[in-house]
Amino acid sequence: MSTQSVIRSQKGWLALPENIWHSVFRNALPTSDYGRSSTSFSNFFLHIHPVKVDRHSLKATYTWGLGLMASFLFLILVVTGVLLMFYYVPSTTQAYDRMLDLRGTVAFGIFLRNMHRWSAHGMVAVVFLHMCRVFLTGAYKPPREFNWVIGVFLFLVTLFLSFTGYLLPWDQLAFWAITVGTSIAGYAPVFGKDIKFLLLGDSTVGQEALLRFYVLHVAVLPVVLTGLITIHFWRIRKDGGLAKPDEEEQGAESAVENTVVEAGASTVPVTMAAAAGAGTPTTAVLPKRSFGIQGLVRGPLVKVGGLRDKTVFSWPNLFQAELLVFVISVAAILLVSLFFNAPLEEPVNVMHPPNPAKAPWYFLGLQEQVSYSAFWGGVGIPTIEVLLLLIVPYIDRKQAGVGRWFAKERFLANTLFMTFAVINVALVIVGTFFRGANWEFVSPW
Amino acid sequence: MTKTPKLADDGSPKDVSRRRILAWLSGFGLFGSAIIAALANLIFIKPRATYGQPNRFAIGKPQDFPAGSRISLDTRRVCVVRDGDKLAAISTTCTHLGCIVSVAETGFACPCHGSHYDQDGYVTSGPAPRALSWYQVTLAPNGDVVVDKDNEVEAGTYLKV
Repeated sequence: MSTQSVIRSQKGWLALPENIWHSVFRNALPTSDYGRSSTSFSNFFLHIHPVKVDRHSLKATYTWGLGLMASFLFLILVVTGVLLMFYYVPSTTQAYDRMLDLRGTVAFGIFLRNMHRWSAHGMVAVVFLHMCRVFLTGAYKPPREFNWVIGVFLFLVTLFLSFTGYLLPWDQLAFWAITVGTSIAGYAPVFGKDIKFLLLGDSTVGQEALLRFYVLHVAVLPVVLTGLITIHFWRIRKDGGLAKPDEEEQGAESAVENTVVEAGASTVPVTMAAAAGAGTPTTAVLPKRSFGIQGLVRGPLVKVGGLRDKTVFSWPNLFQAELLVFVISVAAILLVSLFFNAPLEEPVNVMHPPNPAKAPWYFLGLQEQVSYSAFWGGVGIPTIEVLLLLIVPYIDRKQAGVGRWFAKERFLANTLFMTFAVINVALVIVGTFFRGANWEFVSPW
Repeated sequence: MTKTPKLADDGSPKDVSRRRILAWLSGFGLFGSAIIAALANLIFIKPRATYGQPNRFAIGKPQDFPAGSRISLDTRRVCVVRDGDKLAAISTTCTHLGCIVSVAETGFACPCHGSHYDQDGYVTSGPAPRALSWYQVTLAPNGDVVVDKDNEVEAGTYLKV
């Protein structure tokens, strides 16, 4: 038995610092497997992780760390956002001056604003890429259907958070982007006008809209997002970690190592009933015994013996990987914020819209669609797309190809998704770079 | 004086249906309260009074608008049209995405996405989905012309002054 986990209380005043330290950190830096388990398990900030993690989930080329990156960007946004709140006033007469103050007098003001702005844009992009990753690896399939649904809502809330923040500087860019954006909301059938009125608190964008967007941006939506993220993370654990290929598939990949590979082996995930005895499913190599974690965790069971252990300890493997993603995210935001300033245009002039008046870039695909048909482009098609995203894990339930990029078995689903994704990205690019005055086609070159 | 509960054949209490009804009632009560609370919140966030510009406002005397003039009041977002002895107010908020349209020779033109309207506000080109609104114009007792943006009227409805 290692002694590192049992920390004896020392006597005497000299031991005070050590005793305080050990009262906070229960474990010394682990040197044994027991210590590694214990550290992951008993530290508040680490216990959300499993003690051991599948090697497949750690592969950088599988996840690209996108989900983590999104949550780290959110963390940066919360920290810089709270700091900016110390100097910001949501008033039409003061907001713009406060922006100038951030630039001119507040220490690190411009830098904090840059970080906040670029993280917000980054988060929209990374959440979208994360969604693409999950789809293209088939990771939304049972038992992870509902976590995908939560993910879709996370994407929508992220967009809305970014959108509500866009108005706060109260410059021309902000004002007209929100005018255009909320007009799109006004096209919704039946309730469109009411939604727009509730959002703006008035018939046009003004003081009421600024206050409403502020409250949504700094209080309501961050709380909603935090709640959804919590459930999202919790369900990853309860659904058995990240999606990975079936044991059979992995077995087939390394058929040389595993001697018994039965053709046509059942790919149905092992159920509790099956594990309990009757009709034990055939796996590449039969486990000697199967345990459900406390009999409650759905999905993959802990198989003891017989199988090659494909897991490694979270300490240090997972934590190092997470730290790396964190450092990359922060470094990227710091670098970008150092070299590029968040735009700030003229103060609001209600009489003179810029030409063209453009929504935030992630809504320019929408705006491009709206320029063809107000209802279909702004409301009809986006609603259909969101509904398709929500329903897809309940329609497409076959397990084949889960946990692999661009699996051949998922050719149709992946092609459909990629088509939608590429069209939307293309529309955003057209709206951003190829539309000039009067929304006429221009060449960016 | 304790009553022994009546038991069914399998030993479960017989008055289970009463419990079930109470459970249903509690459920209705709880969910009903939640729904009412949600509605109350919705009513709360819908402002009864707005602090921005009023939607009903006086724009001056009829003689301020000479015959044949089309005067755009940008802060009010209406264009006052005088045709002989008739007055009307046409919205200058583009029906496409809410920009302010400017008065052009052919009618109205939106600087944002290139929508064009004719003299009566009907769309002639561009992405605008519908014609510009006409607002009710009335004469106040003191002779002021009053525009009410909450009351849309059919295109071509003029006030005789």
